[in-house]
Amino acid sequence: MNSRWLRLTAIVAEREIRQRGRSRAFAVSTIVLLLIVAAGVVIPAILAHHAKPQRVGIVAGPVPAMTEIVQEAGRLTGTGVTVVPQPSLAAAEAALRTGQLDVVLVNDTEVVVKQVSIPGSTGSGGTLPSAIADVAGLTKLVGQLPPGAAASGVSLPVRGLTPPSASLSRRLTGLFTVVLVFVLITVYGSQIAMGVGEEKSNRIVEVILASVRPIQLLVGKVTGIGTLALAQAALMVAAFLGLGAAVGSSVVHGAAPGIVITGAVFLVLGYAFYCTAFAAAGSLVSRQSDVGTVVLPVQSPLIVAYALSYTVIYANGANVFYKVLGFLPPTAPVAMPVLYAAGDVPAWQAAVSAVLVALGTVWMARTAATIYGRSILRTGSRVRLRQVLARGEAA
Amino acid sequence: MTVTSEAASHDTGSREVSLELIGLSRRFGSVVALDGLTFSVPPGQVFGFLGPNGAGKTTTMRAIFGVVALDSGEVRWRGEPVTEQAKRHFGYMPEERGLYPSMQILDQLEYLGRLHDMTASSARGAARNWIGRLGLAGREADKLEALSHGNQQRVQLAAALIHDPQLLVLDEPFAGLDPGGVDDMTEILAERARAGVTVLFSSHQLDLVEHICESVAIIHRGRVVAQGAVSALERGGRPRLAVRVAGDPDGNWARRLDQQIASAEQVNSGTVLLALAPGADSQRVLDAARAAGAVEHFSFASRRLSEVFRDVTGEEA
Repeated sequence: MNSRWLRLTAIVAEREIRQRGRSRAFAVSTIVLLLIVAAGVVIPAILAHHAKPQRVGIVAGPVPAMTEIVQEAGRLTGTGVTVVPQPSLAAAEAALRTGQLDVVLVNDTEVVVKQVSIPGSTGSGGTLPSAIADVAGLTKLVGQLPPGAAASGVSLPVRGLTPPSASLSRRLTGLFTVVLVFVLITVYGSQIAMGVGEEKSNRIVEVILASVRPIQLLVGKVTGIGTLALAQAALMVAAFLGLGAAVGSSVVHGAAPGIVITGAVFLVLGYAFYCTAFAAAGSLVSRQSDVGTVVLPVQSPLIVAYALSYTVIYANGANVFYKVLGFLPPTAPVAMPVLYAAGDVPAWQAAVSAVLVALGTVWMARTAATIYGRSILRTGSRVRLRQVLARGEAA
Repeated sequence: MTVTSEAASHDTGSREVSLELIGLSRRFGSVVALDGLTFSVPPGQVFGFLGPNGAGKTTTMRAIFGVVALDSGEVRWRGEPVTEQAKRHFGYMPEERGLYPSMQILDQLEYLGRLHDMTASSARGAARNWIGRLGLAGREADKLEALSHGNQQRVQLAAALIHDPQLLVLDEPFAGLDPGGVDDMTEILAERARAGVTVLFSSHQLDLVEHICESVAIIHRGRVVAQGAVSALERGGRPRLAVRVAGDPDGNWARRLDQQIASAEQVNSGTVLLALAPGADSQRVLDAARAAGAVEHFSFASRRLSEVFRDVTGEEA
């Protein structure tokens, strides 16, 4: 690998960026993706502003005083509240479980919710249950202390009826990440396969391979298209964060840096893993119209992981099968950001998975380069994978 | 059967050799594409590369560019094995034309020039120059697919010439060209050869090859079956005579000829075409003709290249 090698590869990459970057398809896809992001950020925010009032149950205490605490917490968080006195704690918990109540304040003792969010995952606080806990705790403290004493805030404990989990907003950030990873890999992967198929079917490879090695053409194409994909992804993330900040979306407030970083790492790794595979798939066909049939098998692990990720995002806790997917290189780029965002795996496991994907990518790139080099100049019927790997012409 | 004319080998031997193909062999499964193919091409010549379909012409050309790996044999350029460095000065026009259909032709040619180590600006300049020379001025920003078939061929030629190669390899460059296109192509190839470029091209149009090329190689089933200067090949290994004797429209006099001297091949309105036996003296044929009557015509006849082709390959071009 010398400077000329890199220069030729860069020329190939530059052509991809120029040709595709100024194509109408790229402009249209960018606009469509931006609209999707905008909708994903703005619509929940609008809905949140029109949210129905939170129903807060109060148990075992003076109704007027507790109502005042709850209303104060509602004012602090900008949430409408409806106070519903409950006959007993058991009745209140039952109402929580059925969703008739959102929060229960047990006088002087605790705040009960259906499920507690993982601490730290909700950004700068501000949820109704924690506000109630703060105000009620403070009121309790003030009541106990002699006048004039300094009161340091002691919140009431917040108890969940079911085990704690990541907040929904954090999960939605995970969902956003996964959609982005899946859409970009699929869209750009198909473009790579189509581009390779085009070059092979109209035989331009013969002219190009007379001066460039197959591996240079492969690497140039993949990095060129990858640059566009990453630019588009960066634009999406910027729009996500910018719009989110503008409308004060809770979806964005949940976007802990860890999730964004994890998403970015797995986007790059996932693209790297799949792009060479897509290029190899594209090199097997002789007609561009056949590209679809070879691309589907390459995509299938990604599709499986993507489909399953919805169950993980909305259910409580991933099953073992999905966790295994989080460590397999073909499915990890989609599964691991979800697992991490849902709080089902610690950061170090995400790092282990990233290393596994990186190793898998090296293997995949080598295999794909071999397949590509051996099949790119073979015309006629579709090249069988077995033929190529068994004995091929090393071009 | 291999025909190598003495004159031809002497002809090429006296000059430096630029491109040498030595014992090229390549199998694709059970199909033998190249079977010890050997020939060399002198510089500054337009060299024709002929053979029936499936003889191995395209595989040979791909092998020159290292696009097809060889089982054995070697391609040498100016006495050295072909290196990456040398290949940058080769230009290739493949049989199956290939450029990006939806790319503007100027951008496309610039791209190919840069892949041959030209700077962006010199590649762009050369691209404009060739676009102008090939009569496509004003269409620089057109996409390739917007051009007519003949004009796409011109762009393909420009793609092979953009970096001013020292070796030009063209696979069926005349296929699909109209007469104007053939003339342009012929002129450009001849002009490149005069500039010292080694030009190798394959074709089925033997009349054209006869007209353009100084030398040819004819291959069949992956082997060279004839090579040398066109003029020498047309004279052939066995010289032929065309003789007409007055008052003998059927050429009956020739039937009485001794087979040791010459044998009649065909009769065209009184003119007998004879193949002279090896070592035989043409004057003895003249004697025999005179004995039969007044000799109206007596000359050495050359074969057409198409006849040579048919003889050595057993097939029509």
